[in-house]
Amino acid sequence: MRLMSSRSLATVERSSTWRRSFRKYWPAYLFILPNFVGVVVFLLFPVLFALYMSLQNWDGVTTPQFIGLSNFRNIFGDDIFWRALRNTVVYTVLTVPTGIVLSLAVASLLNQRVRGLSFFRAAMFVPVVTSALAVAVVWKWIFDYNNGLINDVLSMIGFNQIPWLSDPAWAMIGLAMIGVWQGFGFTTVVLVAALQNVPQSLLEAASIDGAGAWRRFRSITLPLIVPAVLFVSITSFISSFQVFAQAYYIGNGGPDYGTTVMNLLIFQRAFQQNRFGEASALAYILFAIIFVVTMVQLRVSRNATNAASEFEV
Amino acid sequence: MSTHITDSAGSTRSSRVGLATRLTRPGLTVVIYLLLALVAVIALVPFFWMATTSLKTAAEAGTYPPTLLPSLPQWHDYTDVFNAVPFLTFFRNTVFYSLMVTLGQLAFCSTAAFAFARLQFPGRNVLFLLYLATLMIPTSVTLVPSFILMKWFGWLDTVWVMTIPGMLGSAFGTFLLRQFMLTIPRELDEAALIEGASLFRIYWQIILPLVRSPLVVLTVLTVMTVWNDFAWPLVMLNSNNVMTLTLGLAVFATGGTEEYTNIPLVMAAATMTVAPLILIFFVAQRYFIRGIALTGFGGR
Repeated sequence: MRLMSSRSLATVERSSTWRRSFRKYWPAYLFILPNFVGVVVFLLFPVLFALYMSLQNWDGVTTPQFIGLSNFRNIFGDDIFWRALRNTVVYTVLTVPTGIVLSLAVASLLNQRVRGLSFFRAAMFVPVVTSALAVAVVWKWIFDYNNGLINDVLSMIGFNQIPWLSDPAWAMIGLAMIGVWQGFGFTTVVLVAALQNVPQSLLEAASIDGAGAWRRFRSITLPLIVPAVLFVSITSFISSFQVFAQAYYIGNGGPDYGTTVMNLLIFQRAFQQNRFGEASALAYILFAIIFVVTMVQLRVSRNATNAASEFEV
Repeated sequence: MSTHITDSAGSTRSSRVGLATRLTRPGLTVVIYLLLALVAVIALVPFFWMATTSLKTAAEAGTYPPTLLPSLPQWHDYTDVFNAVPFLTFFRNTVFYSLMVTLGQLAFCSTAAFAFARLQFPGRNVLFLLYLATLMIPTSVTLVPSFILMKWFGWLDTVWVMTIPGMLGSAFGTFLLRQFMLTIPRELDEAALIEGASLFRIYWQIILPLVRSPLVVLTVLTVMTVWNDFAWPLVMLNSNNVMTLTLGLAVFATGGTEEYTNIPLVMAAATMTVAPLILIFFVAQRYFIRGIALTGFGGR
């Protein structure tokens, strides 16, 4: 490369034609080739193909029929779509803020130089590494109306049993409980790491100046861990917007569409009703929502970080 | 103001603070440990319940008030599962898929990462931007078109659909390894190049050993993904002889007319599905936690 830059411009231009550069750089391309083929065939092609499919009326077997934006028009006129979107938003609102606030509390406890930090961290992390489907199988049993653990305990302390699986609203709450339970360990681990990076000297200086625990948290700790909070809020948002296995297993969207989330609707449209065009359009709508919300989160956080740093200075 | 504090003033103040916190400390410590223990219990109780239920009789599983531990452990549920469904086949399949995909990911993500991090070639930056962009694509967008693609390839319901797409590596793994390879001093490759080492030797003997721990991170994340994945096998597979544990469990737990009549049997199947991965987790805990915390790789 250094040699190349010392040559005259004209030579560089001539030598940078594709054929010449390929002859020179083929080992580099060879290193990338298998991976590149994989990314193109199994990632890029599907994404573009989904875009094409979203404009077709297609059952996956017969010749696709171009119908423009009709799939999108049908979707926006479909009550079940709005129900699924609402369910997904409700699920996200129930899981993401709850998960982050709870994790922040637990992470603060773990940050008190407790002994056995690695034990607690590992215990909380077990749900993160287990399969969402297996976890759903266990939780469905725990939620069982007559013999489930939760209702048994509720009865023992004198409460009524809860129709976890037969009432749409309770089913959604149950789904959110599984979500918080399973994502909790991840969020906590990230936040503990962030808290441990807050300089102890700053906190000590503030407490010498008479700042209480809450004040220290608000004015020092929180601004410093904003990036970590943002990171977990974006990743939690993305995964909660794509929740699938639990919703599929717990009630296959039911009862009464109470747990029909976006990803489940996509699955049903494509693989149970063979409406591949409509399913692809739905997937793109989901994609667009995730993209826009992530961008907004990034923008808001940048402003928040700026505001916080200005305040501190 | 901090510059005004003299040593003596500073030390008396901080010792006063220390005294104040020490007074409330024992009580506070107990509360902290109790709360943390409660959180740990909540995290683990479903697994405990799963395991104990699997050892109860169907009748005992349905009793009220519930028994904490099985009155007489019933180990036969574990052998019954093998008779009820080809669980051993599911297990073997899952291990095989995990192994193949992991080997493929390690090989092809590391070669691509090597090129992106250590080599210069025309189009590198454009190509890398393309890789970055694909990281944003949610799996829900690619699932439906991938099904069609696999159908065209004739790979539906075969081992190919579970291995080849994962084996060629991923943009994610490439990105992860590239980030670590960038931190290696460039002098190392240059020295080796001057001594006449081939690019492959530099990759194999210099760079790879230096990214050992990110490779382990990629390994555990890949094994976890393949082991736990549900949507992909659900869509692509249909026959018992190619199914994974997770899919087999779902089919077994919902299938047939016997749904939920034999809870202990279902719980035994669930226990056997999650146990291997939990075991791996405890062995390679550090890498799991580091990898997932670093990448936000929930996968779900």
